[in-house]
Amino acid sequence: MGEVRIALQSLKMSFSTRMQYRVDSLVAALAVFIRESANIIVIYLALLKFDSINGWNVNEMLFLFSILFLTYAFVVSLFADLRDFSRMIREGRFDRLLVRPRGLLFQLILNNADLIASVGHGTLGVLLFLVSAGKVGIHWNFATILYYVCAIISGILIQGGMFIIFSSLSFYFVETNSIREIFYWNMRKFAGYPISIYHKLIQGLIIYVIPFAFVNYFPAQYLLRKPDMVNYNEIYIYIAPLVGIIVYLAAYAFWRVSVKRYYSTGN
Amino acid sequence: MRAYLEFAIKKFQDKMAYRLDFFMGIVNTAITILVYLCIYRALYGNAADVDGISYSMVATNFVITLGLSNAFHYNEMFLQDKIRDGSITNEFLKPVSFILRLLSENIGEGAFKIIFHFLPALGITILYTKLCPPESVLGLFAMFLSVVLGYLILWLISFIIQTWSFWLFSVWGIITIKNVFVSILSGSLLPLWFMPEALRGIISVTPFESIYFTPVRIYLGELEGMELLWALAVQIMWIAVLGLIANAFWKKGVKKLVVQGG
Repeated sequence: MGEVRIALQSLKMSFSTRMQYRVDSLVAALAVFIRESANIIVIYLALLKFDSINGWNVNEMLFLFSILFLTYAFVVSLFADLRDFSRMIREGRFDRLLVRPRGLLFQLILNNADLIASVGHGTLGVLLFLVSAGKVGIHWNFATILYYVCAIISGILIQGGMFIIFSSLSFYFVETNSIREIFYWNMRKFAGYPISIYHKLIQGLIIYVIPFAFVNYFPAQYLLRKPDMVNYNEIYIYIAPLVGIIVYLAAYAFWRVSVKRYYSTGN
Repeated sequence: MRAYLEFAIKKFQDKMAYRLDFFMGIVNTAITILVYLCIYRALYGNAADVDGISYSMVATNFVITLGLSNAFHYNEMFLQDKIRDGSITNEFLKPVSFILRLLSENIGEGAFKIIFHFLPALGITILYTKLCPPESVLGLFAMFLSVVLGYLILWLISFIIQTWSFWLFSVWGIITIKNVFVSILSGSLLPLWFMPEALRGIISVTPFESIYFTPVRIYLGELEGMELLWALAVQIMWIAVLGLIANAFWKKGVKKLVVQGG
């Protein structure tokens, strides 16, 4: 019970910090929203001209994007500290957590929520979902809703797990931002579109190495059944809601091993 | 003049110091190009051309605009940071124009990005996709002139917004929004050929069309003779208008500036 109280208190603190500069926070959230909309606007305008991309029409594309944004909204509020972990280590702020009577990951996840980014991504995700979900031919019943919710949770765990893995690397290397830049952010650029449009090598990366395909592509395929699914094993769409748990557990194990190597950067 | 050239060269050398950045820049640029070429390829499907525009032309448009926007990627929070920590006052003591100094540093940084991020990535791109060759030598020359003008337009838009940090707590949000407008309306993500008529009409009376699209059309040979001269004149007109606005904001801002503390 104490854990829940700490969690709520910490969320309240993040909120109050941002509310010191009300207008600025609002503009910043709007800016994130607009920045992330850029790709959506472009694909929307493009599909006005071209009708479809590998068989996916505009609403199906928006649905595919919506999952990416909805999951990320949770990821940035939960895993904000792990996203900025290398800076935290460099500034010696990680040491503070070591002396507190709670688990390290627990504190990292609960401390600091990037609410600005969360609101920006979340609003966009909800908006895209509302626009597209009714028009893509999904029969919403108990089974599909259950699948959808599990897939969203799994998507959050996959991305959170990846943040934990990249953070753990900070215990081995001084500079980890570039590894993360190449493997996380670049892969995320690919993930908004049906992965079947890419070269086989990139498809392999995005399915097996940085499993973004399980965040939005395969869950969307379960609900939409587009013809380009023939390129992949049918089983992927059924295991998608479970991949998150596996990735997260693996990440947790790796973290436990790596954190033992920690020596402070301070004096 | 000599001093400003030194500023540009200094910034260029600064950038050279970070080897990892250099490597990352190439990888990121190459991946961005790859993503968009895949998207265009998939959009085209089996069609040879759409509205008379071939896939190669679209790819060429994307690669050129990406190169130019790469050159334009610098710290747009510079002025705000200087105002916040008060070090802007030191700038006024130096016997050089702050605006020209900023411009030359940004150009130095842009030159670095073009040479070390864009050109290698371009080399990689040519290996797996066919781009349009330049239409003529004269066209190529006119394009370089047009690129410089386009750069100045983009730089002035950015500078105008940076000067708002004299009045606002933070300009980060507005700069981000501005960048979205630029990337969509200048045709760097979706070429302006494919924009809906109504939107295209609006864009044609804004400076956005003059940033990347004019150089690209010159390169592809779409603009020749009088049309070409007219396009260049429009670019120069925008530089004059934006220059006046920038100057007005800057003068007003400097007058308003109050630096606290000693």
